[in-house]
Amino acid sequence: MFNFKFNSISDAIFMQSSNGQYHGLYVWSVVLIVLLSISITFLVYKVQIKNIGKKIK
Amino acid sequence: MIKKFIHQFASPKTYLFQVDRAYPYIFYTSLSIYLVALFWGLFLTSEDFVQGNSYRIIYLHVPASFISQSLYLAMAFASAIFLIWKVKLSAYLVRSIAPIGAITTFIALVSGAIWGIPTWGTWWAWDARIISTLILFIMYLGLISLHDSFTDNEKADKFLAILVIVGSVNIPIIKMSVEWWSTLHQTASITVTEKPAIDPSMLYPLFGSIIGFTGIVVCLVILSSKLQILKREKNKSWVKDYV
Repeated sequence: MFNFKFNSISDAIFMQSSNGQYHGLYVWSVVLIVLLSISITFLVYKVQIKNIGKKIK
Repeated sequence: MIKKFIHQFASPKTYLFQVDRAYPYIFYTSLSIYLVALFWGLFLTSEDFVQGNSYRIIYLHVPASFISQSLYLAMAFASAIFLIWKVKLSAYLVRSIAPIGAITTFIALVSGAIWGIPTWGTWWAWDARIISTLILFIMYLGLISLHDSFTDNEKADKFLAILVIVGSVNIPIIKMSVEWWSTLHQTASITVTEKPAIDPSMLYPLFGSIIGFTGIVVCLVILSSKLQILKREKNKSWVKDYV
């Protein structure tokens, strides 16, 4: 259950499935989109809160 | 008595001080859970025998879809509290949750579209589940624009609360769309009443990613509500002391 399912880093990047298709592009692009969207949202709110704090002061 | 209790507990000032204390604990705990669950799901689980490795998108798509609908229900609940007991904080929360709901729905739609390419052979289908989720996304954007188009905040809050409650009819439609219509989107793999259709080795990291992502989104809602409170209460003396 807790063993790596890929033999190397390149296997994990390309994620070739048993039907021969490579799924890494799909999986990693979703990971990137999710992490970017969340990080950017955090950043935007932090900056906006900082700016309004300055204005109020 | 309930009204008095709610008004005391839900003053924007009390809320801000409470969430400021809770924020770091929620953030670091949920981030750790989410990263561990993602690592588990992406590297340690076996590939699906039908979908191959593309199924690993489940650990990102399902939490986003779940949260996008839950946030709308939270907005409807807060709207009801605002309309019944006139709690100001509820109105602030409704406006604060909307952009976070739009972002999570966007993630759900985009991740679903990308997942659709290897599994369905298309990134888009005019399928009941996808259309109802797209409607949810448009509703979030519409509610934000509508609220911001008003010059009178009190009127805007009231109008928004009513619309949110009316729009909540879309949530059961999204949920039941895969049962009511013949859709390309699969039916739910996890239900309250039945045994999950997913192997436990794939299910545990899925639960972890849902819990972790929920916590992260709660942190975003806290930040969004903080911004909303500071904007709306900027002339109050306690806000000057707070910042």
